[in-house]
Amino acid sequence: MEFRPRHYSAEQEAHSLPRSRADHNPLSTPSPPSTPQSQVIVANHENNDFLDPLRGWCANVAVSNEDSPDIDYASAATSSASLSSGTVSEIPSKEWTSFKRFLMQKFPVSKMISVSSMSDVIIKSGKALDKSKKGTYSEEMNDSQKDPEDDAKVITRQEYVSQMHELKHEIMRAWHAEDRVTALKLSIKVAKLLMDTSVLQFYPTLFVLATDVMDMLGDMVWKRIRQKAECAEDGTFIGKLPENFKASDICSDAKETCNNWFCKVGSIRELVPRIYLELAILPCWRFLLDQPADNIQRLVMMTRGLADPLASTYCRLYLVHCARKLPASDKGYLVTCVNDIKILLIHLLSAKETPNIHFSGKIGLLVSLIEPTIEYIMKFIFEDASQRQAYSVFMELGLGRDRSNLSESIPCVSVVLHHLLKELPAEVISCNSVDILHLIKCSNDDSFDQCLNYRLLGFRLGESRSQLDIVISVVDEVIQVVTQYVKLDEYLKVVDAYMDIVLQNQMDNYLNTLLEGLYTRACNKEIVNDEQRILQSILLKLLYHFKDLDIIFALKHFLEILDVMYGSSRSVINMQILNMATRNDHIRDPTTIQFLFEISQSLHDDMDLANMKDDGNQQSAHLISRFIQKVDFGAEMERHLTFLVECRGAFGSINELTETLVHLSNYLATKALKDRKTLLTFVKSCIAFSEVTIPSISSQVRQLNLYLETAEVALLGGLVSHSDGLIVSAVSCLENVECTDGSRAPTDVDGILSSIRKLCSLLVMVPGNSDQVVTKIPRSILSLIHSRSWMTPRITARTFCAIILLLATLSQNKLPYHLCPTEVQNLGNDVLFFGDSSYLRELVSLSEHVLQNLLNAIEQEPSKAVRGSMALEACNCIALSFKASDDVLKVCWKLIEAAQLCLSANDKYLQSTIEYLDEQLSTSRATPAVVI
Amino acid sequence: MSTIDLKLSRSNRIYRSSEPLQGKIVIKSPSSLSHYGIRLTINGSVNMQIRGGSAGVIESFYGVIKPITIVNKSFEIRSSGKIDSGTSEIPFSVILKQPGEESLERFYETFHGTDISIQYLVTVDISRGYLHKSLSTTMEFIVESDKADLLERSVSSEMAIFYITQDTQRHPLLPELKSGGFLVTGRISTQCSLLDPISGELTVERSAVPICSIDIHLLRVESILLGEKIVTETSLIQTTQIADGDVCRSMTLPIYVILPRLLTCPTVLAGPFSIEFKVSIVISFQSELSKLHTKSDPRTPRLWLAMETLPLELVRTKG
Repeated sequence: MEFRPRHYSAEQEAHSLPRSRADHNPLSTPSPPSTPQSQVIVANHENNDFLDPLRGWCANVAVSNEDSPDIDYASAATSSASLSSGTVSEIPSKEWTSFKRFLMQKFPVSKMISVSSMSDVIIKSGKALDKSKKGTYSEEMNDSQKDPEDDAKVITRQEYVSQMHELKHEIMRAWHAEDRVTALKLSIKVAKLLMDTSVLQFYPTLFVLATDVMDMLGDMVWKRIRQKAECAEDGTFIGKLPENFKASDICSDAKETCNNWFCKVGSIRELVPRIYLELAILPCWRFLLDQPADNIQRLVMMTRGLADPLASTYCRLYLVHCARKLPASDKGYLVTCVNDIKILLIHLLSAKETPNIHFSGKIGLLVSLIEPTIEYIMKFIFEDASQRQAYSVFMELGLGRDRSNLSESIPCVSVVLHHLLKELPAEVISCNSVDILHLIKCSNDDSFDQCLNYRLLGFRLGESRSQLDIVISVVDEVIQVVTQYVKLDEYLKVVDAYMDIVLQNQMDNYLNTLLEGLYTRACNKEIVNDEQRILQSILLKLLYHFKDLDIIFALKHFLEILDVMYGSSRSVINMQILNMATRNDHIRDPTTIQFLFEISQSLHDDMDLANMKDDGNQQSAHLISRFIQKVDFGAEMERHLTFLVECRGAFGSINELTETLVHLSNYLATKALKDRKTLLTFVKSCIAFSEVTIPSISSQVRQLNLYLETAEVALLGGLVSHSDGLIVSAVSCLENVECTDGSRAPTDVDGILSSIRKLCSLLVMVPGNSDQVVTKIPRSILSLIHSRSWMTPRITARTFCAIILLLATLSQNKLPYHLCPTEVQNLGNDVLFFGDSSYLRELVSLSEHVLQNLLNAIEQEPSKAVRGSMALEACNCIALSFKASDDVLKVCWKLIEAAQLCLSANDKYLQSTIEYLDEQLSTSRATPAVVI
Repeated sequence: MSTIDLKLSRSNRIYRSSEPLQGKIVIKSPSSLSHYGIRLTINGSVNMQIRGGSAGVIESFYGVIKPITIVNKSFEIRSSGKIDSGTSEIPFSVILKQPGEESLERFYETFHGTDISIQYLVTVDISRGYLHKSLSTTMEFIVESDKADLLERSVSSEMAIFYITQDTQRHPLLPELKSGGFLVTGRISTQCSLLDPISGELTVERSAVPICSIDIHLLRVESILLGEKIVTETSLIQTTQIADGDVCRSMTLPIYVILPRLLTCPTVLAGPFSIEFKVSIVISFQSELSKLHTKSDPRTPRLWLAMETLPLELVRTKG
């Protein structure tokens, strides 16, 4: 066998594609194609049967673009269909369901509930335990003033709930058995349960259970009367009642029944069940009146008769829920509700000794139980309210300042104020911010933390632009307030909310005051987790606002404040700073570099090194490595290398970073080589740095690649002996791959293959060493292939091909490429071994050996398609490397036969390979090959 | 076995005296049935009796007083004949009061009280000679005032204003109530249509002792002339709580009491008897004593109660 002589430069000229300028960047997003032009291009290329992969990609995109709108429309259609099926009226009921769930979850109930004797419906089953038997509970319930008759029972929550469900079913059964009187009587009993607020924590659950029954009853009554209205006296169906029916559409029989229901409900003695039952059937007023809203107002007033704060606020909650079932009406009653709740709370909070014994010491719990009702009502008030409406509500709540009596301070309850602030439109807040601030100042009670209201005002103010002078006066006043705060926690909460406003309006002097205040409160103090979080939010706001790190570092106390932070909050800030710093192209300032280095160090210290897969950690590592990449010392390359050494010392434990460092030192070396001014010693130290650093990387494959990269750089600098060492290291990495990484994914194997190919291409320009066999490295790769189990036949075959190509190249009289620097150019193997027959023999003998193995490897490939393409690949490789002799052609045809067995006859690769072989055959006839 | 049933044209069985009483007689018989005539009788009367109350032992012994007949009419619906087997329906329409007819008494509205009861009955008889038991059934129907007789004037919107303090009470109070003092003010309607609720409002201005409950009692006063004496019986017909617990001071609470249908009628002031109504506002204060008497009559003045009773005229309006 003999290697085919190659004339690389001539071949390149012959085979290179004609190059033409493109009008569009084919990789940019496809713009609507200018059709005539693209047709011309296609026409041009039609004859040489060449498929431009970029153009092909464009065509694909066009197709997929056509497809996707259909999918979008389809999904949009289904979603809109599902929306339209739910009528508008269902939305509030859904909201109510989720609100009920929220209530149940927010106030979970301990296992046992004491039930007063009144709730005989619940304990009639006799399951209840006698109070005296339950010693632990009786202690809590023990009250010397309790009436001896009052024999409280204790049952489990589960029992209570199941009893309620049982009652509900009983009511339903009675109703369907036409026994509506019993159904009503049982419903009244259920409603009476709501009078019992003795177990505060249980009340929301009780409320949800009981109103469930009320809603069910109300529904059944509504349906019954509507049915009557839709039927003639003899029971025949007349027609469906329209959604917006009038009272005049209703027949007298239906009205009579409806009236009876209101009479029956009206005759209930106790206030609580009377209100609840009327609310349950409230929508039925529509059968009697066209304007049923007056009744809502009356019910609001009636609710005032409930002195128990819990019972009365929850009753209002149910009222609002039921009122929403009526057609939209004036929301004035809601304002009355809120005002009544306000008065109730003022009364509750101001009472020196609580009026009701079972609330004493539980005001906090009570307020938290009441809060959701305020929240719900407030939300509904401002739902779809225009700005003007919202303002008038604000005034009606007695909160807006009447211009006539400016001096008067209107009391408000902070918890009510809080939810008002939450729901008021931002514009109303910004227009009345001074008044609201005044209100917050005045309402300092136990129901809600005052500083949280200051905080909320700040956030709400930030939502809309307000006049600068107003903002200034508000901020000024707030700062006066917070200066009085001693607690860091409160200070932070408020300052955080106003930070955006201060920044947006460039109130620099205020910013300084705030930072100063923060510094004095935060330093020399243990900072707890919550405070860290808010501090983090404040610092992030500063960072986002100023964008420029230099300004931020110049801020008073910024660095000191940063220093008091630790843990994850600190990391978040550090990451943000790094993120900002690395947005610039270069980081040149030595102080900045030093600072960022310290930040990176602290970030590194907080990283959980045992868990590098964690997203946060990966991001930190990524940011640090980006920072290191951006650092630029310009001409001071020595200093840069020193910096890299420092970095290695600091962040050596992070693989990603070590890799970056190697890349950077290689980059430095390359840059130095390009400069040509620097001495080779610097390049050597860079390479030495890389060489020392690489082994600390855990992945063998990465090491391999880095060794190759460094070897390349060494070759670039003409440092042949360095590169020899590096290549040896690379090969030993390759040998170690298996032992370190047990089972590899197939992609990684492909990666290794490409590294091997890269190594082969490097070897072309590595001058042979006369001390050793010239094929030492290829041989060691070969031995490796045989001994490694992860080598699949496919990879093996390709490696063999690569080696054959390498050997064929080395045999040439003129190598396709050489080492760059002029002084070492002559050191190419083509020069070193020119005309050396033992050299050639060595190459040929190795290639024959490889060829044999190659054929074996192909046969071992299990997949047909892969085997076919492998055979063709090998065939091409052989035809390209060797002169066409009979031996070679025999091998080639054998491979073609193998390929024909595996691939279809139409396969283009197969066809063109056959064509190529035929061509070779004819030329070989012309110039007979010399067989060795 | 043959059965006989009465069905009135109105399911609520309410008729006015000027309106015809209409309906049908439903006879179900397994075999054909011969009779000597079908008669329908209308009877309305005021029945009075005295028991307990303010009546003495002697009076109660004489118990029942002669009833006052309002109407007693008989109509022949069918003359003698035969009714086929199966279900037969015989419609009827009789006039309660001919226009211009001088009736025995005013057609008072139906009322069922403790001592006085005003009742209208319709009876149908099928006489079948001496050999067979005659078939008969009776049904009550309800009479409401004739529209023509109703007051032209609308119900006055006049309200009685009340002040309830420790000083307006005529019974002894708890010492802490006496010393601490309280003031509950408000207003309540004095005349009320039977179709409308009693309306008004109430405000607790101040009270040193926490309030337990505020209730509105609806009372009925039935009086019967017995010889020279008037025997009066007051009974509680409905209690409506308007405040539960120690309500906030200076907060106006509405009074809204729906009148119970069958237990009320327009106020009647007839010669031999009268039916009147009253409302009573009762404030119960928190007291340990009250818990010992939970089952007592709420009208009894107690140490922990304060009350104010006002007359209430109920009228039938054209509504």
